[in-house]
Amino acid sequence: MKKKTIALLLASAMAAALFAGCGGKKDGNIGKETASAKEETSASGETDDDGIVCYVGHGFWGGSLDPVKGAYAYGYDFTNNALLRVAPDSSYTGDLAESWEVAPDARTYTFHLKNGIKFQDGSDFSAEDVVFTYETVMERQGDNEDVDLTKLAQVEAPDEKTVVFTLKEPYSPFLDATAQLGIVPSDSYDSAAFDEKPVGTGPWKVVQYDAEQQLIVEANEEYFDGAPKIQRVTFVDMDNEAAFSNAQSGQLDIVMVQPNYASEEIKGMHIEELETMDVRNISLPCRPRQMMRDSKGNDVEVGNDVTSDVHVRRALSIGIDRERIIENAFNGVGRPAYGFTKNLEWGNAPEGQDGQADEAKEILEKAGWSDGDGDGVREKDGVKCEFEVYTPSDEQDRYNLAAAVAEEAKGLGISIIVKQTSWDEIYKTSNTGGVVWGFGQYNPIVVSQLFNSDGILKGDFDNKPAYENKKADALIGEAIGAAEYEEAVSKWKEVQSVYAEEYPYLFIVNIEHCYFVSDRLDISVDTQIPHPHGHGIPIICNMKDWSLK
Amino acid sequence: MDRKTARFNTRTRVMVYIVLAFVYLAGVLLWGLLMDPEAYAVDYRVKFLPPGAGHLFGTDFMGRDMLFRCVKGLSTSIVIGVIASAVSSVIALAAGVAAAVVGGKLDSFVNWCVDLCMGMPHLVLLVLISFMLGRGMKGVMFGVALTHWPELTRIVRAEVLQIRAQPYVQAAYRLGKTRMQVAREHILPHVLPVYLIGVILLFPHAIMHEASITFLGFGLSAEEPAIGVILSESMKHIATGKWWLALFPGILLLAAIMLFDVIGENLKRLLNPGSGHE
Repeated sequence: MKKKTIALLLASAMAAALFAGCGGKKDGNIGKETASAKEETSASGETDDDGIVCYVGHGFWGGSLDPVKGAYAYGYDFTNNALLRVAPDSSYTGDLAESWEVAPDARTYTFHLKNGIKFQDGSDFSAEDVVFTYETVMERQGDNEDVDLTKLAQVEAPDEKTVVFTLKEPYSPFLDATAQLGIVPSDSYDSAAFDEKPVGTGPWKVVQYDAEQQLIVEANEEYFDGAPKIQRVTFVDMDNEAAFSNAQSGQLDIVMVQPNYASEEIKGMHIEELETMDVRNISLPCRPRQMMRDSKGNDVEVGNDVTSDVHVRRALSIGIDRERIIENAFNGVGRPAYGFTKNLEWGNAPEGQDGQADEAKEILEKAGWSDGDGDGVREKDGVKCEFEVYTPSDEQDRYNLAAAVAEEAKGLGISIIVKQTSWDEIYKTSNTGGVVWGFGQYNPIVVSQLFNSDGILKGDFDNKPAYENKKADALIGEAIGAAEYEEAVSKWKEVQSVYAEEYPYLFIVNIEHCYFVSDRLDISVDTQIPHPHGHGIPIICNMKDWSLK
Repeated sequence: MDRKTARFNTRTRVMVYIVLAFVYLAGVLLWGLLMDPEAYAVDYRVKFLPPGAGHLFGTDFMGRDMLFRCVKGLSTSIVIGVIASAVSSVIALAAGVAAAVVGGKLDSFVNWCVDLCMGMPHLVLLVLISFMLGRGMKGVMFGVALTHWPELTRIVRAEVLQIRAQPYVQAAYRLGKTRMQVAREHILPHVLPVYLIGVILLFPHAIMHEASITFLGFGLSAEEPAIGVILSESMKHIATGKWWLALFPGILLLAAIMLFDVIGENLKRLLNPGSGHE
């Protein structure tokens, strides 16, 4: 019997080696719809249906499709439109709203809506629907973690085409919420039904949705901004590797891949590396090791005796070679980053120069870090120049990145120990060690989350280095309280120059999203907006402009 | 009979197997333990080299030499296997002998524990324990050590029950020997062969389970060279044709496990009075 068990185990081990290969087939045949859709598309371009099949990342169709519960809060249209949307230059522009103005008290936002827009069910879109949507989300804010309306006091519709929002206090990032929250029809909204089949004004109608399996959408011929050119799009959910194999066998028109796959070749497809605003950085605790009390009243250990020295942080930032890190970790896909990217209106990365290993070493020497015992790692007053950097175990890319940074740091005499662990563990260790984070959103409030001292020891992501700078805090307050969006933008930019000299985060790379795209498909790269954080999914931002050749 | 005229009798052949297996396993273990971590250090200049003269097993996505990583990983697995088997076997021996000799409530209790542990899928139990202890080396070690005793306990208990019913054991009791004395002098020596084989056959289980939970992401973490980590990483690259990342570690693991099995099976034949003299 024992022998049998062992044999079974061995067999399963060998089967595991073949898993990636057959996983594709297994995952690919979910439901008849997918299978038939695939047959149609794989028939060498001659399709009766004019449809495509896409893989844009694993697990992103897992939850509800209802905008009220946070679906598609990315700043672009899909099934529903929001009041505003994000333009390719990442500024806000009217979507359902024609124009908007903010009163000088910075608390009253008035939106004038476009005329003649209809929902997919034929009913008219009016101010009443906007009021309904916002009030529903306010009532059930707990269901929606993507659109934050806690600063909103009330929303009213003085007439059919006007909506007035009143905030509890001045809060300039509110504008971003109006670009994220898709509007649902007040008459036919049904919380349960909208989980699977939301009705909106958007360019796409949901035909079928099977959570974590597939989503099929059809063009809305009546779309007010021009009907999509492609009739039908099927999104399938599978593993990255399985998707890649499926693409190789010609079953997908778009497949998202990790940067390490970007140098592969697939017949009939070409690679697209699309611009994002998503940056990867490593938080570096700014305080010496100490006990602090968190917002719940617990004493927690905070800080790190190595990274608390600004010279170490500065030396790292100028001493490493970001191009080489990107080459090593990401196969050369991505751009060096020194802060939030310039493709954001408010992004203000300092003009950085790195690869200055000699200057970095000089800074370290002057600050008293020198290698006395010849083991290649500097020390100062008996403290070894060594710290840990944690990466989540479900993201291999971040581990690769941290490992590549560690290799660069080694050359400077700084030892970085890279560890992989679960997110639960990371939330704890991030107080005392470095963590590889990813940030990318249109909403400038992220600057406050990362650098405002009132966030210290509050949330899981907020200000992990426990950085405190009175000037930055004040500027953040001014940016949030600004009435004019332009004024807020300039304040946000100023905040970033203030903290730039202190390097609480080591910015490394502005990633690019990689996709293999079928040669018969044009994804209109010009109208793509810079992708927010969201792995592969943001490629659909301009899906209505895509066309088949 | 044919067997007697064969050039080597079973006993010799078995001894050769055992020596070979032992040399392989001890060799991997020592090589891994004494290895300089620089041997499998990151070197981005040699990413994804197929197997060749410089790197017998090729290199991975960070340019680490796969041969050295595999050997290091396997030796970690063997260490875990040895420790887990040792702990499991001590638990099994103590529980099995105590249950059978003392009997009564203790026997029911031990049986109950065995049923409890065996009633749950082994891998699930392992994952639970490992996860609870925060994964990593500690989690795997406790997980593997604490879940491999029930089967052996059953075997030991059955064996002891059988021996205890023998007339000479009963005679020893009548002669006034205490339970402990009987257990030590008359029962243990007879249980030993079964027990030893059980222990050796535990190794492959322990190693496989270490590799399995690490493969699933509940064991050793990615920065440690472990066979499970190597195999799960290789899954990411197999679709692009990097076959060597999965093949060689797989073979090494397979060889280690089969050799333990060979040792166990052959020892059984040697120690079993029925086949020991063939």
